[in-house]
Amino acid sequence: MTPQNSGAPVTRPEPDAPAGLAAPTSHRARLSEWIDRRAGTFFIMPAVVMILIFSIFPLVASLVMSVSRIRLRAGGYKVSFVGTKNFEKQLFGSEQFHFLGTFREISLLGWVVMVLAALVLVWWLYRYVRSQFWWLGFIGRLITANLAFAIVALAATTLLSGNNFGTLGTTLFYVFVGCSIQFIIGLGLALLCSQQIRGRNFFRVVFFIPLMVTPIGIGYAFRMLADTTKGPFSIVWQWVGLGDFAWSTSAWAARSFIIIGDSWQWIPFIFVILLAACENIPRDFVEAAEVDGASQRQIFLEITWPQILPVAVTVMLIRMIEAFKIVDLPNIMTSGGPGIATESMSLHSLFAWRSLDLGQSAAISYLLLFVTVVVCVSFFNIIVLQRVRQT
Amino acid sequence: MTKSSPDYQANQSLYARLFEPQVIGKMPVGTQILVYSALVIWTLFVLFPIYWVLITSFKDIADVNGGPYFLPWIDFTPSLHAWKELFVVDYEDTLTAYMNSIIIALASTLLCSMIGSMAAYALARIEYKPKFGTIALFVVSMILASIAVGSYGIDWKIAVAVALAIFALMARGLSRRFTRSVGNGDILFWMISQRILPPVVVVVPIYMMFQQLHLLDTHIALILTYTVVNLPIVVWLMYDFFVSIPKDLEESAQLDGATRFTTFWEIVLPMARPGLAATTLLVMILAWNEYLLALFISTSNAQTMPILVAAMNAGERGILWWSMSVVIIVMIIPVVAMAIVLQRFISKGVLLGAVKG
Amino acid sequence: MSNTKTVSTAKGLVIKDLNKSYGSVHVVKDLNLDVLPGEFLVLLGPSGCGKTTALRMVAGLEEVQSGSITLGDTDVTTMPPKYRDVAMVFQSYALYPHKTVAENIGFPLKMRGIGVTEREQAVREAAQQVHLETLLERYPRQLSGGQRQRVALARAIIRRPAVFLMDEPLSNLDAQLRGFMRAELKHMQHALGVTTLYVTHDQIEAMTLAHRVAIINDGALQQLGTPREVYNDPANLFVAGFMGSPPMNFIQGEIENSRFQGAGIDLAVTGVADNGKTTLGFRPEDAEVVDAGQGLFDAIVYAAEMTGEQTLVTIELDETYFVIKMPKDFETDIGSQVGVRFAAEHGYLFNTGSGTRLRNCAVVMV
Repeated sequence: MTPQNSGAPVTRPEPDAPAGLAAPTSHRARLSEWIDRRAGTFFIMPAVVMILIFSIFPLVASLVMSVSRIRLRAGGYKVSFVGTKNFEKQLFGSEQFHFLGTFREISLLGWVVMVLAALVLVWWLYRYVRSQFWWLGFIGRLITANLAFAIVALAATTLLSGNNFGTLGTTLFYVFVGCSIQFIIGLGLALLCSQQIRGRNFFRVVFFIPLMVTPIGIGYAFRMLADTTKGPFSIVWQWVGLGDFAWSTSAWAARSFIIIGDSWQWIPFIFVILLAACENIPRDFVEAAEVDGASQRQIFLEITWPQILPVAVTVMLIRMIEAFKIVDLPNIMTSGGPGIATESMSLHSLFAWRSLDLGQSAAISYLLLFVTVVVCVSFFNIIVLQRVRQT
Repeated sequence: MTKSSPDYQANQSLYARLFEPQVIGKMPVGTQILVYSALVIWTLFVLFPIYWVLITSFKDIADVNGGPYFLPWIDFTPSLHAWKELFVVDYEDTLTAYMNSIIIALASTLLCSMIGSMAAYALARIEYKPKFGTIALFVVSMILASIAVGSYGIDWKIAVAVALAIFALMARGLSRRFTRSVGNGDILFWMISQRILPPVVVVVPIYMMFQQLHLLDTHIALILTYTVVNLPIVVWLMYDFFVSIPKDLEESAQLDGATRFTTFWEIVLPMARPGLAATTLLVMILAWNEYLLALFISTSNAQTMPILVAAMNAGERGILWWSMSVVIIVMIIPVVAMAIVLQRFISKGVLLGAVKG
Repeated sequence: MSNTKTVSTAKGLVIKDLNKSYGSVHVVKDLNLDVLPGEFLVLLGPSGCGKTTALRMVAGLEEVQSGSITLGDTDVTTMPPKYRDVAMVFQSYALYPHKTVAENIGFPLKMRGIGVTEREQAVREAAQQVHLETLLERYPRQLSGGQRQRVALARAIIRRPAVFLMDEPLSNLDAQLRGFMRAELKHMQHALGVTTLYVTHDQIEAMTLAHRVAIINDGALQQLGTPREVYNDPANLFVAGFMGSPPMNFIQGEIENSRFQGAGIDLAVTGVADNGKTTLGFRPEDAEVVDAGQGLFDAIVYAAEMTGEQTLVTIELDETYFVIKMPKDFETDIGSQVGVRFAAEHGYLFNTGSGTRLRNCAVVMV
């Protein structure tokens, strides 16, 4: 068959320039060809190797340390295997008061809360088993439920019974209370700034500033601000009659102050991302709702909130992950005091390292890692995946 | 040029960008007052601590200790004594720390953005199928090596070499037997999940590692550590950018004769510029402000600015608030300047892509 | 415009038993094509028929599962794309947004390590061929759709490749521009004489551009031939229905005792006595509307549309609708009873089940 249409192919003279790319001949070209064929490896290897060396190896080494007793010797370490003794010491032994809190008699309120929590969790598991069952999902939920009960029990036996709680309770307080406050204020500011407002970008830049200040600087700055005699608010303190009130001697005042400092730094992060999410909502949606006669409250509940929810959940997940690591602020603002009232688990581990108790330090950090992973994975599975399944 | 075109926005002055006259007045006056007062109150809350630090840096020792003074020239006479002390008398320490911070933050940001972008691009475009068994084998051999070093005092170099050799041999022999493999999604999750690790978990082994390598208190040690710590952020944010770039462009470049590296460098990276800018800024801020790891790894030579801040808490002499304030202010300035320059990228919701559920 | 300097060595392209499947979906089935040097061959088929996958395999962007691709004398089946000496124009044009028009056009040469001055010269020549010389410093976003299309073409021709691959390059343009660019493409391909493999789902594009058309459905080649052959002599039911606008009319029926019988229709046929389920097809332009009782069968006028150059009459026969092209001054009333007539050689008979053409079988005229 020959082409019959107009413009039938004709024989043409040879071109004066090569059209294709000749196969590589020189050494350099062959090397670049060899690299190109293995581009996949070359692209990902640096990251993998870095993570293996600086993240996975230390993780493994830390695990080894947490089951050992390490003593410094001249020119090295003496390591001896002690099994789970380091963990036992934190959970049940002499360090229990430090990590978990002091358990004396449990109040009636504590008992009631514990029983209620147990009932709710059992009902939750029961519902899961009845609706769908997958053994891995069940085990995951079992772990979540156990940890949740442990947290409630911890709160019931310490907080609700008037006993002191340890670094675990303090950390969870920072994470849950701090993150909630930060989310509410961050969302509020984002909603305000997404309105038609003069100087929007100015507020955006100003509100972003705290994120750029070094946490340790924030710690010291807030320590200055909180000073009841020489700080800027000392007049106010004196006026309310708290002139010689040292907030750093009251556990709850100190904890609140750390949360304020933490919020000052991290609200901008939540604000910036939620603002972007708000502005990403197509204007048509809001306008259509306005035409339909929806009130501001309805617009928020029916349009804005569902649209930003996925972003909000992810932001909270990131924020929680970072909040578990809190160490600079309590270290600077209160040094963990009064007593151990503001000591987070990271700080606890840091103090253990300072006293050269490396095994305990590693054990505490492993406990922190465990709590972080379980809480974050539970949050992810129960909230994020639930939403994905629904949609 | 229309108002929405990028060139128009780029040509606007900074002032116009900050206070662009929006359509206002849609809200009732009462609501407007409420909204603006809320925003102004928050602005004060945000700015006051910084203002306090700023004026403290200009106060005399007596003015700091003598009670609250708020307004320079009215309440107290500003003095440059703290600034002089840091930049004239003790300028060597200050400038060393400043240079250390700049070198470490820049180098680690550059390295981190580079390595992270490459990995993110690779995960977005190239299919990986590492065998599950091979990974398990690697983990087991590494655990054995650390036990050997930790419990039996074997030299770490020998232990690691032996473990790697055993791994290589076993992996070669057994790799055909392994059938289950993990995918790109798993690798991505693995990389991102590294961010969950609290620094305290890894910092002691990292300390020991650098001690063994005689790299403690050097720039390299901090650069490498910060790079790894921030790597998950870069991988995570950039992955989303690369996925959203149309594949056609890369295929076209490939047909035009570009290698993977050229494609990445000439086509993909320039297109991801907005994302790269925001990611770089974020990573730079984190590296610039980091304290805990620096506390472990650097003692004097590689001391960074956050350490210098803490150093102003000088034991018996109490806290040198004035000097500390100077250091804090000096630390904020470059970051804020950069953020204002990159403000457009940040406000465009660049971070949003990765966060979308 | 025919500039002998840009003429390429036209190489032939041979595709043999090409196969590709994604999971259980067999996208390309035993594709065989022999593209002559300098030929403009169009792969035509509905979307998702595997034509683009076949094109991408020729480009080297998809792995070949079995079969071979030979370009000139070289087997390129497993060769990486950059060594294949092919240039591709993408549906989206794939212009690099951060590079100017000149940089876009010059990119393939830059990748070949050609010097700046030589490159500039080549870019200017290529730009001239597609009338872009005044826009070289602009960025793609500052160009109109047609201009972007030209940049993509210039980037392809600057390399003087042995084969052009085009993946629906005109589908993103508006109708008017598409007609114009079609003519430009045709002219350029003729001037350059480059072997071209062109993918489209638009049969008018295929008819007007191609030397030969390869019609593909469900990953398999249905028919290969000149546009005229494919149009006048469709190999099967799919080709018959796909080519032509409005498409061929079909009547379902059965051949029994040398008679084609369907709802409201009963015609004598020659060649085959019994064939079971059969489809009778005729093109709108081959038939005419006549008075009731005068044609092969009678039907009712459903609608009549004046398009200017002609009148499209839709008629209904027992819930089957046919379109017939009539002269522009033809008039009829909706609902009236009319007859339909076409010449015997314009009636096509197909096996309904397999779709194959009953070649030696024809309708007998009354």
